[in-house]
Amino acid sequence: MGAQSIFVMTLSTTIGSLSLHTPLLTGSGTFGHDASALSFLNPDDLGALVLKTVTPQPRPGNPNPRMAEYEGGILNSIGLENRGLHYWRDKVAPELAQIAVPVIANAGGHTLEEYVEMTIAFSEMEGVEGIELNLSCPNVEGGTRFATDPIALAQVVAACRVVTEKPLWAKLSPNVESIVPFAQAAEQAGADALTVSNTFLGLLVDWRTRQPQLGRGFGGVSGSGIRPLALRFVYESAQAVEIPIVASGGAASAKDVLDFMVAGASAVQIGTAAFRTPDLLSKIAQDLRALLKEDGSTIQTLIGSLEWPSL
Amino acid sequence: MNEARCTQAKVFGKTPCGPDAFLLELEFSAEIGQIDPGQFVMLSLADGQGPVLARPFSFYGQTAPDRLTFLIQVLGIGTQVLQDCPLEEFIQVTLPLGTGFALPDANRPLVMIAGGVGSAPFLLCAEQRVQQGAGDQTFFIFGARSENRLYDKQAFASLAMHSRFATDDGSFGFSGNVIACLENGLQEETFPENAVYFACGPEPLLKAFARLVQAKGFEAQVSLETYMGCGFGACNACPTATNPNGPLGAWPWAKTCQDGPVFSLDSIQL
Repeated sequence: MGAQSIFVMTLSTTIGSLSLHTPLLTGSGTFGHDASALSFLNPDDLGALVLKTVTPQPRPGNPNPRMAEYEGGILNSIGLENRGLHYWRDKVAPELAQIAVPVIANAGGHTLEEYVEMTIAFSEMEGVEGIELNLSCPNVEGGTRFATDPIALAQVVAACRVVTEKPLWAKLSPNVESIVPFAQAAEQAGADALTVSNTFLGLLVDWRTRQPQLGRGFGGVSGSGIRPLALRFVYESAQAVEIPIVASGGAASAKDVLDFMVAGASAVQIGTAAFRTPDLLSKIAQDLRALLKEDGSTIQTLIGSLEWPSL
Repeated sequence: MNEARCTQAKVFGKTPCGPDAFLLELEFSAEIGQIDPGQFVMLSLADGQGPVLARPFSFYGQTAPDRLTFLIQVLGIGTQVLQDCPLEEFIQVTLPLGTGFALPDANRPLVMIAGGVGSAPFLLCAEQRVQQGAGDQTFFIFGARSENRLYDKQAFASLAMHSRFATDDGSFGFSGNVIACLENGLQEETFPENAVYFACGPEPLLKAFARLVQAKGFEAQVSLETYMGCGFGACNACPTATNPNGPLGAWPWAKTCQDGPVFSLDSIQL
């Protein structure tokens, strides 16, 4: 075994039954519907490719403009534009079986039945290793229903659980007062892991035009500005459940990734920051190897190692 | 096709251009490889400073196998930080991106219409045409508000092709906007009948261009300037409405960054 493979081993992590090369994942909606953007990365640096939400029916998405920037990140309202399950199954899924990185498909829907339909479909696709339920998109009509009612959320997760053997992750919403009841509801309903969390509902306006900057008005905030908010939810979720936490919310560097892991995450999704630097995950993987070597620690010992001040 | 990649390039030169623009010359660590006129790059500061998102720019010129130039109009923070970036500092570059112009065969005439910084993709087009010996069959109409906004006009005027300039205030060349100049040329039968038409510029220009060439039944391509999140097809933030009966198919949106930024006019709705 060469030095290279020892370093690769150093970054490996597990999310339930899934073994990942590294704790670095793409965030759903930030790296495309298919594997084409993988060409920017060394596949060894990526733990899993989490793809953009697919819904049973095609969705044209929201009107322009769909994205705006501020100092701390971006506001988006894409509206889950996607060509629907049939297109994805025919055109995208066959290619996914060929790629070297595990693929987590992301399912969206309006009703419990739609989530179940997506979960069954993804279960039957060879190239899909795991399923993330998008229970938290703020940019679609009714998209937050499952995000804001723990009972409704538990019903969806439970219904999807019984139709798949594949790892099932519940992506929770941050647009709640406390994430704990949602984390516990998803765990009790059989989720294998929780993705914590999604974009924060927000608004950017242009005072000169007296109009919102996005075509739909509200959007979801992502980027480094939400990192402390996401870190809080990751910590609280990790304290409340036994299943692994996948962090998602503003990570842009190896330091950010390790912060999330110390707070309790077993893996970290990178999204907004990769828009500017599409090879960012490979850069972070290199930096992670260097930081762990320098610190003399391992991913496994860091996860959940945060020492809370005793008052 | 040259696959898109991320790299860093050094600021080799910055040349002021008109009252509000500059030519940014970047030096890469290796030969750049093939780029198509109309393709683009995403640029941001390599040190992580500046706005969250990178900014898209058409390839403007190539000064050496490892050096490229970009025509940049300073309009906001994203372009300001590039103008302020000192020589020798590094810029983060993703390239080459998107679908460029499909240049017609050398024996087929080409008419290119540019408004303001919309000239950016046309220098490479013009150079390729001249290299192919098609300069005599290449027509370029460059319009701007005034002479000082005919950015880098000498670079175009010095090429062995037919260049015509138009200014809204009449300070240089044809007096009137670029569409009026095009109409004037059509009336005078300046352009051969089977010409292909390219255009790039502000939206009102493109709309007027589309009305004109569609009424005449000309074959045309346009390069669009759209807000982009990532530039490589991942974010779905740069949709352009498609023509449901056009070659891009029935899906209501095209990704400007991948399917474009150059579209055949019959494939989209402006």
